[in-house]
Amino acid sequence: MTTFFDEVQEIRKRYPAGARSATLPALRLAQEKHGWLSREAIEETADALEVTPAFCYSVASFYDMFHLEPVGRHTIEICTNLPCALCGAQKVVEAFESALGISAGETTADGEVTLRAVECLGGCGYATVVAVDHRYRQNVKAEDAAEIVEGLDA
Amino acid sequence: MPEQKVLLAGTDKHDLTKLAEYQAIGGYGKGLERARAMTSEELIDELQRATLRGRGGAGFPMGRKASLIDRKSSKPKYLVVNADESEPGAFKDRQVMAEVPHRLIEGCLIAAHAIESTSVFIYIRGEYLTEYEILQGAVDEARAAGLFGGVEITVHRGAGAYICGEETALLESLEGKRGQPRPRPPFPPIQGLYYAPTQINNVCTIATVPTILTIGAEEFAKTGVPSSPGTAIFSISGNVVRPGNYELPLGTPMRELIYEHAGGIANGRELKAVIPGGSSVPALTPDQIDVPLDYDSLGAIGTFFGAASLIVVDDRCCMVQLALRSTKFYAHESCGKCTPCRVGTRWMVQILESIENGTATRADLDLLDSVGDNILGKVLCALGEFAVYPVASYLHKWRDEFVAHVEQGGCPFHGSSSLEGILAPSDQHAHAEVLV
Amino acid sequence: MSAELVRVKIDERDVHVPKGTGIVETALAAGIEIPVFCYEPRLGDPVGACRMCLVEVEGMPKLQTGCTLTAQDGMIVKTARTSEKAAAGQNGTLEFILVNHPLDCPVCDKGGECPLQDLTFRYGPGNTRMSYEKLTFEKPIPISPTISLDRERCILCYRCTRFSSDVSEDGQLVAANRGAMSVITTFEDVPYTGAFTGNVTELCPVGALLPTQYRFEGRPWEIVDVPTVCGLCPVGCNINATVRETKVKRILSRNHPEIDEGWICDKGRFAFTHLRAEDRLTQPLQRTRRHGLEEVTWEAAIDEAERLLRAAQGRIVTALSGSETVEQAYALGKLLRAGLGSHQAMLPEEVSGALDGYRLPLSAIRDADAVVVLGDVPVAERAPVVDLWIKSARRKGARILDSADEVGDAERVVLIWSGPGGRGGATVAKLAEKLTLAGREGCGAFYLPTTPNGRGVADAWAACCDDESDEPDSIGLLVVSGDEAAADPNVRALAEQAEATIVLSMFGGLSAGWADLVLPGTSYLERDGTFVNLEGRLQRLRATVTPPCPDELHWIAELAARFDVDVAPYAAAVFAEVSEKVYDGLSFGEVGESAPLRGYPDAAVRVDRPSLPESQAKPGKTEIRLVAYKPLFSGAAVERVTELQFQRPQPEVELSAEDAGWRNIETGDLVTVGSNGNAITLPARVNRRLGKGIARVAIEHANGLGGIVELARAAEEVSA
Ligand SMILES: Cc1cc2nc3c(=O)[nH]c(=O)nc-3n(C[C@H](O)[C@H](O)[C@H](O)COP(=O)(O)O)c2cc1C
Ligand code: SF4
Ligand code: FES
Repeated sequence: MTTFFDEVQEIRKRYPAGARSATLPALRLAQEKHGWLSREAIEETADALEVTPAFCYSVASFYDMFHLEPVGRHTIEICTNLPCALCGAQKVVEAFESALGISAGETTADGEVTLRAVECLGGCGYATVVAVDHRYRQNVKAEDAAEIVEGLDA
Repeated sequence: MPEQKVLLAGTDKHDLTKLAEYQAIGGYGKGLERARAMTSEELIDELQRATLRGRGGAGFPMGRKASLIDRKSSKPKYLVVNADESEPGAFKDRQVMAEVPHRLIEGCLIAAHAIESTSVFIYIRGEYLTEYEILQGAVDEARAAGLFGGVEITVHRGAGAYICGEETALLESLEGKRGQPRPRPPFPPIQGLYYAPTQINNVCTIATVPTILTIGAEEFAKTGVPSSPGTAIFSISGNVVRPGNYELPLGTPMRELIYEHAGGIANGRELKAVIPGGSSVPALTPDQIDVPLDYDSLGAIGTFFGAASLIVVDDRCCMVQLALRSTKFYAHESCGKCTPCRVGTRWMVQILESIENGTATRADLDLLDSVGDNILGKVLCALGEFAVYPVASYLHKWRDEFVAHVEQGGCPFHGSSSLEGILAPSDQHAHAEVLV
Repeated sequence: MSAELVRVKIDERDVHVPKGTGIVETALAAGIEIPVFCYEPRLGDPVGACRMCLVEVEGMPKLQTGCTLTAQDGMIVKTARTSEKAAAGQNGTLEFILVNHPLDCPVCDKGGECPLQDLTFRYGPGNTRMSYEKLTFEKPIPISPTISLDRERCILCYRCTRFSSDVSEDGQLVAANRGAMSVITTFEDVPYTGAFTGNVTELCPVGALLPTQYRFEGRPWEIVDVPTVCGLCPVGCNINATVRETKVKRILSRNHPEIDEGWICDKGRFAFTHLRAEDRLTQPLQRTRRHGLEEVTWEAAIDEAERLLRAAQGRIVTALSGSETVEQAYALGKLLRAGLGSHQAMLPEEVSGALDGYRLPLSAIRDADAVVVLGDVPVAERAPVVDLWIKSARRKGARILDSADEVGDAERVVLIWSGPGGRGGATVAKLAEKLTLAGREGCGAFYLPTTPNGRGVADAWAACCDDESDEPDSIGLLVVSGDEAAADPNVRALAEQAEATIVLSMFGGLSAGWADLVLPGTSYLERDGTFVNLEGRLQRLRATVTPPCPDELHWIAELAARFDVDVAPYAAAVFAEVSEKVYDGLSFGEVGESAPLRGYPDAAVRVDRPSLPESQAKPGKTEIRLVAYKPLFSGAAVERVTELQFQRPQPEVELSAEDAGWRNIETGDLVTVGSNGNAITLPARVNRRLGKGIARVAIEHANGLGGIVELARAAEEVSA
């Protein structure tokens, strides 16, 4: 079994020696492993990259896709940027909020689902775009929310 | 004018994500062979003659950029493809990667040859997971088929930061750091990735290159307009009947795109505004839409070609809300490195909020203008300006609406605006609370 | 390699500067100041973040940042003085900077010496147009026991984080988040730890990062900065001591470009409060039969000293610390040697003049092509600032090697000896000779001693008398000069043999058990005199405050008079005597505020017999060579500064990944290290940069171990 450390060393080899380019891939890997970038996850990443935890934290906190707080096992991310917004994204947000019983930005009490409004996902022609566990659902309407929530595997 | 597929050629009948099908329509064929038979100078010359203007925003000729690469440098040369596409309204690069990944890869091989590079990085935004998988699959397939000829292509995923589309921020991010822009000069062709000469181009720019080499620069230049030859994929979104991507020759009138290809304004509403280049550019009023869609024509009426992405706004939309939601995006995406952008965008949000909720005075409208002026031309990269351009245009072209907010002590749309109540991520982001 | 001169016109003034000179410097050459915040050339490439330095350049439509722009021939630049556009840009920036600033100057320690305050005064808007909620943060928060951070005052110039990542390379102080939410931080609750952290308090152009020791301690109009030299390590960084009401309140760097480039270590910066330590001695102590040490008057103490000196009948051995000034060592030497014929002295380490033919300023390290660092003690523990020079050499492309065999055809080669042995530099001099470095441009060698002024003390001791004598068979009197000597176990062993012992010490506890007479000593911050640093550079120490006891020179002179030895009670006069013999007659005044590297007039003759490199015992396959090093954060001064305790090394053994690997040891596991029945059990720390076969431990945790040892995972019961 390859360890996290070994996997990171493999990633590092794709880039010139001494470069820190493996930082983002390594943080992503750590996040997949731990669910979010906990203190331990960051320390483990720093060790494998031979950098300080502070450096990893600094980088991770810059990017929206890294979670420095625990998130649900599933994520539902709704684009609310202009093109989607002009086509009714707010109704979609509200539909998910009531389907899940939480506000955007929160995680269900059982720790299963995190709901977020996010910036433009690059599917503007197919509003509203909702990323369900990072897979895009397009042309989502408010009435689709319940079904999407149902469809999350348990 | 009908759609004219160059970048997307063959997608109607073939699954071009498969190497065999792409090769069956001539992919990795004549174009690549011609390029590899040329010297670096000859190839750059061919690209220069095609006047292929960058599709990422600034419209700088791609061949000119290649000619600026410091080829005498003892360091390796790098080609970096900007696939960070995050400009609100833009979704064309995504379609290219999802449907014609090999055309992009072939373009990389040709462009790398032009600048004598053997190392290509494609920086794809982190949210594009499916597209990443398709692209990575295509890269692996092409490599396995022995098409790379000594070149290595690495697909590198971003992690959610609009600023990483800015070329120097992209380089920082690719180097594993916070994606904050670098001061220029030195420009990337002299000192880019890992301090080495680097060519950076948008996905669509690079994916156009195989066609130029296949049909020749002269033939290529016959499409479009002389100052901007070729076709572009236009993303159109917002309140139109058939939003989506349309590949059209440059110079196609905007009206044609909106009313013919996209079917006009949806739900029988009236056109109010068009933001023609992604949300970062000055908006146009309905009387301005006969403009041809090319860099210079749009520039002449005070806006930008940008990311060839039109956001169409109908008459239900409150322009103050539009400005506020737009500014919240740019404030949220500001990298925080330079003062005017970091501080100014937040300040703009505060002023716009007070205009929208009716606590502002007329002096605040001037303040909004002035804060914008203090950002324009003083920032490290264009992001801060991207926040100001659209808002300044709304403020000037729809001034009555801004004044009405001030005078009526609130939004004249009384809750009926199409953007009413829209939630911005910055209003709910967890990390914002952690440290404040 | 002289760069081509170009002509630039700035605000109608013509200047000629080498091509590529920064516009900020070019303007300065024309006598024009361009205001900056983020720009600080010592931190590497400019970042163009604050946008304070906006200028108008002819032919460029947008304003440009002066800090990132370089001079090209024919350039025409207008600063805010002559360009309305530039002035408007600058005012806009200043307004943005102030939008979220708390404007709490009256209660800010930076008040009065704050660039932001100054610029606001000069150019700032009279009133604010910001009527919305400012960003607020919890304030101030400690980022370590020595440094506090006020995020509301921070203008995000990234000087501090660039220092951490690009100068000290500790990577601990970073920016987090993005946009308006960006903040300076360390990781979680981990304090900013390392040899150089305090420099960020001087780099910060506002009152965001401040030394906690200085909190509410002084206002600019009540203080004076006294220029002197740090006496805590052999580098001799140039410093200013901020003095208020006869007390040292703060230590600042005083940029000597060849020695320290304006960086000082945290020991030099924060350890000054040892001057006011609770156990600081001000009255002499004399042993009485029943009560142990008791306070006596200075007259009584001098009488007693005279009695002990006479009673020893020449059988006197002197243990020096290497932290005495040249003048103190000379005065003491003159009394003991010329007056009493007692020539025996010991220093904590060997001193050699062998390197005098290979002298370079420390700054030459930065320009080297290859730097060979020999020895297993981390450079930062011995001579911290040297570590920064090595790092900047690496950043500039130099190879940093651990063996002279790999030098190859490098042109500029610098050798550095950082470890035990080394014979005061003779070993590394021999190596330099082998590599034929003598006289080659940019080539040279350094030996990192453990004492701040070992060379100066040795020279002074040698200079005060030409006679010599054999070692006495018994020690009548041991004179222990200084706290370092008093803390040395070898000296204590001698004290047991001696019939009587006089100790010169700042602190009571050190010699309480064994001294017969304790005479209070002074600190380097209280002395006038000279030091010779590891470059062989003679530098001037100044008494920044008056010591709470008589200066050593004073009472040595008084005591010497009783033996008809003429010792002047003033440093200048003593130096004049030493200088005749050692420094070519240089006068005290000529030593200078920012001393040049003069070298020694008779360097060639003084070169000692070269010694061959010592052969280090090679550890066997399963053995480990344990290096017990003296940490930077140790010693009598550091022990007395509460805020510095977190910097002291953990009780742990560092070992290489290889050695840990096959023994199945991971960081945190307990390991037992031992030889000859002596063993210690400590947690391990795996250090991937350490060479195989070597383990390191701070000497205070070594329990006397060192050299070849056995190392193994501790038995399970121990860790349970
Ligand atoms: C804030 C900002 C965001 C940008 N985002 C993108 C982007 O997502 N994709 C892109 O191709 N160019 C983007 N650009 C433009 C790039 O900086 C750069 O000009 C472009 O990648 C060059 O490619 P081209 O010459 O092929 O157009 C952005 C610029 C700025 C200032
Ligand atoms: S704390 Fe000081 S040095 Fe650091 S970024 Fe803020 S203002 Fe600059
Ligand atoms: S000093 Fe030039 S941008 Fe800060």
